[in-house]
Amino acid sequence: MFERIHARLARIAQIAVWIGGAAHLAAAIMVTVDVVLRKIFSITMSGSDEMSGYVFAAGTTWAYSYCVLHRSNIRIDAVYNLLPRRLCGVLDIVGVVLLLLFNAVLTRHAWEAFATSYVRDSVSITTLATPLWIPQLFWVIGLIAFQLTLVFVAVYAMLRYWQRDDAAVNRIVGVPTVAEEVEAETRGMAQEG
Amino acid sequence: MGFLILTILLVLVFAAIPVAAVLGTLSLLLDELFFRGRLTPAIGEFTWEKSKEFILVAVPMFILLGEIMLRAGIAQRMYNAVMQWLSWLPGGLMHANIGSCAIFAASSGSSVATAATVGTVAYPQIERHRYNEPLFLGSLAAGGTLGILIPPSINLIIYGLITDSSVPELYLAGIIPGVILSSLFMAAIIAGCLFRREWGGTTVETTWAARLRSLPDLLPPIMLFAVVVGSIYAGVATPTEAASVGVCFALLLSVWTRTLNLAMLKAAFEGTMRTTAMIMLIVFAAIFLNFVLSFLGVTQALIQWVGELGLTPLETMLLLVVFYLILGMFMETLSMMLTTVPVVFPLVIQLGYDPVWFGIMITVLMEAALITPPIGVNLYVVQGIRLRGGKFNDVAYGALPFVVSMLVMVGLLLAYEDLALYLPTLVYR
Repeated sequence: MFERIHARLARIAQIAVWIGGAAHLAAAIMVTVDVVLRKIFSITMSGSDEMSGYVFAAGTTWAYSYCVLHRSNIRIDAVYNLLPRRLCGVLDIVGVVLLLLFNAVLTRHAWEAFATSYVRDSVSITTLATPLWIPQLFWVIGLIAFQLTLVFVAVYAMLRYWQRDDAAVNRIVGVPTVAEEVEAETRGMAQEG
Repeated sequence: MGFLILTILLVLVFAAIPVAAVLGTLSLLLDELFFRGRLTPAIGEFTWEKSKEFILVAVPMFILLGEIMLRAGIAQRMYNAVMQWLSWLPGGLMHANIGSCAIFAASSGSSVATAATVGTVAYPQIERHRYNEPLFLGSLAAGGTLGILIPPSINLIIYGLITDSSVPELYLAGIIPGVILSSLFMAAIIAGCLFRREWGGTTVETTWAARLRSLPDLLPPIMLFAVVVGSIYAGVATPTEAASVGVCFALLLSVWTRTLNLAMLKAAFEGTMRTTAMIMLIVFAAIFLNFVLSFLGVTQALIQWVGELGLTPLETMLLLVVFYLILGMFMETLSMMLTTVPVVFPLVIQLGYDPVWFGIMITVLMEAALITPPIGVNLYVVQGIRLRGGKFNDVAYGALPFVVSMLVMVGLLLAYEDLALYLPTLVYR
């Protein structure tokens, strides 16, 4: 059952990342149009900088889950690689729990920021006068999704650790091997050479 | 106190706890201990303000730009062109490696992307021209590090953000050291090949006609550099706008090379968002730690302590250099910068060093960190492109001469601050 949920989460995270990436591309095009209009035709549209800021804020939190499911959060493995598997498992789980605790605090206060904007009808002090709760909602959804992913991953890893399945713990929350890391860094380039 | 915090940070980081979790939970803990948790409620609003900061949007844009360029297939032609021009030097194609990396670095903000792109293209040449494999691979790993020194650079944006330094000034400051460091890399290759002639491989025959014919292949990356960096200094665009324009330019380029399709875009999006999230998780935690530390007065205590040691500024800086070189052997570069700069930076300023100069200094030290074993991201990347496989040690040994080049660069920066500061002073000050 856990495998199926893991795969399902990974699929959702992947789609979230595609959306985030596409939104960034759209933002890049919007900013470019803005720059070109401003410099060549002296028309000021403005607002594209503000919009791209929102895309960035929300797009980033939407990608956090992808990061943790692909074990891409940055960890220093100089000492880790020398330790026995069983101990690595402990560090893996402690790491994910600490991340979970920090994100819980962050998400709680991020939610408060969103709720305050919503209740007070706060708008940005720009020509767009964006109601702030709209971009903040997307931003906070990413954080909540990240929190749920972390809880799932932590429980899943602890269960497998308890069952003494160290290989599975590594696949869920461990540090990827050098080979796996290289694969992730250079993916999609083989066809080029 | 400052040292205690730094020690706790490093111990946790070396226990392989995710760097973001270390920075984040430590700042919550410090707040709880010293301020009874009064700062923490601000973290929501605080992170939101930083999250939509327009200058930071440059980070995903430069990553996206690199991801598209990587897949647009311009690297092969560029490499062939550089090869025509540089391969007469002792060491032949290894100079083309450095040259191509320098040019690619000028359109990419990442060292990993630079090493991977040029490495993939260059690798088959080792066998064809019978090069000394370790040195050849080392030149790729080292050349790739230029990605974070030559503008546009992602690391310099983040340094600018956490230290409140101007990113355009940092970019200008990186140009001269970037050119000098490339020359020092080439000097290391020449020295090696004069010492052992067989390391240099067989000669590549070329003619002036072939050289001239190859020039148009250099145009795409050079135009991209002109668009991105040029528009910043022409005062036309901010770094984020320039990066966005660069993304559109790269997109057009991929249309022209017929590499644009949905699968390519999806892969580029995944790469971009993965790297962005990886970096930003740490950046936001580091900024919050920075915020808590500023209330603690840690830096004052540290400055006082260093003052009591009675070291001259230069001696203190040399200690820092050694500290970063050792740290760099074991740590990934961005985490190295984000865990230490909040504590170290105020000290450096107190000593009378220029913030922009220190940005370049620490970037060169990060470059060294990328190619010093046992942990060096660029060594991994280059190891990853070896289709025939081989020992990881080959790459690590091959990169050593270039570490020496970097140390020379550090010395030059210490002796002549103007190498970094001349251009920013000329334009902005």
